[in-house]
Amino acid sequence: MKKEWSKPELEVLDVKMM
Amino acid sequence: MSNKQAISLKLIVSQSAGNLVSDMDGEKVMLNIDKGKYYNLGQLGGVIWELVEQPMAVQELVSTLCSLYQVEQSECENQVIEFLEKLMQEGLIQVKNFSS
Repeated sequence: MKKEWSKPELEVLDVKMM
Repeated sequence: MSNKQAISLKLIVSQSAGNLVSDMDGEKVMLNIDKGKYYNLGQLGGVIWELVEQPMAVQELVSTLCSLYQVEQSECENQVIEFLEKLMQEGLIQVKNFSS
């Protein structure tokens, strides 16, 4: 049985980081 | 080859190195320390990411996804290509011609 499809999305966040 | 071309079904895509990758609640997340960026590929994006661990033609990638998911071929093609272009813009994947 095939799985349900959902549109692939890319979430991009700038992060501050030692 | 530069990463400025558009994605087409005949191109070969593969993961770029240099990202810290993890699974979080079923979603694939990545951290690029050099760029200071955090990426969430989601659940399906994570499946695509794992499929391109080894170089794979976009056509083959779409065919594989169509065999796993309930989706029309044309819809899958369009959405996967759009997603891959975003990954390419962020430098997360490498894109090559079949012959290169």
